[in-house]
Amino acid sequence: TQFRKREKYLNTSKMNTTEAPKTKDQPSPKNIRIPEKKPKLTKAERRALQEKQRAAKGQTKDGKQAAAPKQKQKQKQNQLPQQQQQLSSNKENHKNNGTVNVNDGGKVLGMFSHLPNYKRTELLSGKVSLGPMTNKKKQRFHPAVLQLGYQYANGTVRGANSRCRAMMDVLKKVVMDYELKKKQERVFNVVQLSQELDQEIKLVFQYWTSDCRGHSVSMGNAMTFQKIIVANLSHNRELTSMDEAKKLLCEQMDAYVNERITLAGEAISQHAILKIQDKGEVLLVHGHSEAVINVILQASKLGKVFRVIVVDSRPLMEGQSALHKLREAGIECTYILLNSLSYLMKEVTKVFLGAAALMSNGSVLSRVGTAGIALVSQSYNVPVLVCCETYKISARLQLESITYNELGNPNDVINFGDSGNIKNLTSLNLLYDLTPSDFVTGIITEMGLLPPSSVAVLLREMNPQDTAKYN
Amino acid sequence: GSKMTNDTTSTSRETTTETTMPTNQALIDLQTHLKNSKELALPVAAIKSLLGVIQRSNSHTMMGLQEELRCASDAMIQWASKDNDDNSNNNQSNTPSLINRSTIALASGCQLFMKYVTRCFLELPDFTECKKQVLERGERFAGISLAARDRIAELGQEFIQDGQCVLVHGRSRVVGALLIKAATMYHKHFEIIVLEGRPDAGGCKVAKEFTDAGIPCSVVLDSAMGYVMERVDLVVVGAEGVVENGGIVNKIGTFALGVVAKEMGKPFYVAAESYKFARLYPLNQADLPDLTTKKLTFVDTAAAQS
Repeated sequence: TQFRKREKYLNTSKMNTTEAPKTKDQPSPKNIRIPEKKPKLTKAERRALQEKQRAAKGQTKDGKQAAAPKQKQKQKQNQLPQQQQQLSSNKENHKNNGTVNVNDGGKVLGMFSHLPNYKRTELLSGKVSLGPMTNKKKQRFHPAVLQLGYQYANGTVRGANSRCRAMMDVLKKVVMDYELKKKQERVFNVVQLSQELDQEIKLVFQYWTSDCRGHSVSMGNAMTFQKIIVANLSHNRELTSMDEAKKLLCEQMDAYVNERITLAGEAISQHAILKIQDKGEVLLVHGHSEAVINVILQASKLGKVFRVIVVDSRPLMEGQSALHKLREAGIECTYILLNSLSYLMKEVTKVFLGAAALMSNGSVLSRVGTAGIALVSQSYNVPVLVCCETYKISARLQLESITYNELGNPNDVINFGDSGNIKNLTSLNLLYDLTPSDFVTGIITEMGLLPPSSVAVLLREMNPQDTAKYN
Repeated sequence: GSKMTNDTTSTSRETTTETTMPTNQALIDLQTHLKNSKELALPVAAIKSLLGVIQRSNSHTMMGLQEELRCASDAMIQWASKDNDDNSNNNQSNTPSLINRSTIALASGCQLFMKYVTRCFLELPDFTECKKQVLERGERFAGISLAARDRIAELGQEFIQDGQCVLVHGRSRVVGALLIKAATMYHKHFEIIVLEGRPDAGGCKVAKEFTDAGIPCSVVLDSAMGYVMERVDLVVVGAEGVVENGGIVNKIGTFALGVVAKEMGKPFYVAAESYKFARLYPLNQADLPDLTTKKLTFVDTAAAQS
């Protein structure tokens, strides 16, 4: 009814404008020439016109030629503007029923074309063997960086915690093996080290993000921490040698991983096992989440007797590794795929889910399929508990699964073989989905069991450096 | 900082000899407070006893003081939960009966009191200064808790308007104070429907208080809540405890009442003091802490009323 009201208002306002000249006292002057309407150009024609104008501009400004290649390089590193260029220059946009051709020959639905595209490992392997040339000085990366980049790209290192741990590990190596570029003065200059390290780590992270795989929220938060400790290095007056500085950095990074990931996981287990009864529970888990598996193994160690239902989903089938871990601990398990969930949900007493990230309103970004599980659980009145360390909390607020997501390998979903692109058929492999906070009964962090509305408070308390960005 | 490390050994010796004393004394105080004033809420009486513990304390460190408070509150909670299980006939005449009084509010009240009074200790280096401030904060907290019921009545009576029909469940003294204040002090004209409240027929008892205050009151069966819901304007209940996800723990039947009220679009108000905010996060009905192991006997309401 509200929409109809607005329409009515719009219609009446239109009526007023048409009636206005009649009510005017002065007649409209007759010698005013009303210009004819310009013919509407198609998108392609407008593009051509723009290119012509740009070329004309470029000719007149010869002095600014140096700026052009730099800009081009910037664009190369950042995938998104390039994709958008592709989008706008694609004349067959509408003919393809909303799909868009992207630069590596794959197709992507128009609705998801803003997402970082899946980077084909075949393309990447070419780069890896040569070593990427990053800037004009042709600096090469540490071999551990290249190795991890490749592991990110082909999915060997997967999952928020694993990726973050691996990243911190490699960054430690980078720091330890780092040699100052400029000639070292006699007295150790900590500011120089801080600045150069900051630059190097930034380039490393950019390489991973743009050439291998988009970073996860956990990696992003760890990176923010990294930037802070490297910047703080320059304020530290007590460091006398480079080795000391490097050791300090490594200690701080170890402390971060230990406190925010490892010990946090243990704290989460301690809080969560209070909610698991000694007998008769049937717990449901999805895929493989480090925090959730820890909870269940800990509960089993304390002698609680329960069953676990492991829900798995294609194409990653991460639940199988979770299943192996649980079976090794001797826990009675049932393994199902996502489609038989509603059949088994009536037996379930509690659902434990992991998270890739927590939004500031309590929504959970997790492996695709999680939102569906939470929805079904809610309709069966089964409590849904999300186990998530606080370092994964993001200051971002997301309302649905489309604005921020990641595309996986479309061939994993369905492989057409060498025949390649079939007209009118695209396969979509989304990696994440968003569970609204309404479906989450409680979030278990190392600070305890909290309602989703408390996540914003946690963000302020635990990750103050993230909120500062948005102030 | 350094003071604490020096004194921990002496306080541990102190507390081991004193553990038997403060607990009994706090318990005695609690029982005295309850006996002296029938209207006093159990948590408020406990808070007053804890205040006494601070006054009597000989401890020289904050940790020692915290330990004493913790012992005292544990003893009180233990006594209260034990008393709930015993048969009412076994109670001695001088200890007031706590039958059907929930211990959730008692535990939460004690916990909040301890957190509130000991929050200041990092600022002051001298312990005697600190203890003075602790006592001040304790008295403030006790004062707030004591005045809570009246304050809620003052704020809550604004929600009642002339000509309305209010539905009440359970024998909450806060709700009673609220409605009686609205009628007597603010001269509002409204009527009350009370649910009978089996098995203890609490509704019948509270209805008498309302009629004595001059408010027209009807008592209906618990099962009639669906029937009367269309003719009431709002529902007001008390709470045994307020849990962390915003829900409340209250007399059996409150949940169903809430569901029906929501379905019929009637506002559902809860009047609860702030010391009832408990550190509980029940995921479902089964997750509540076991309050009593007493077996339910189905008695005649009329008999229970007398």
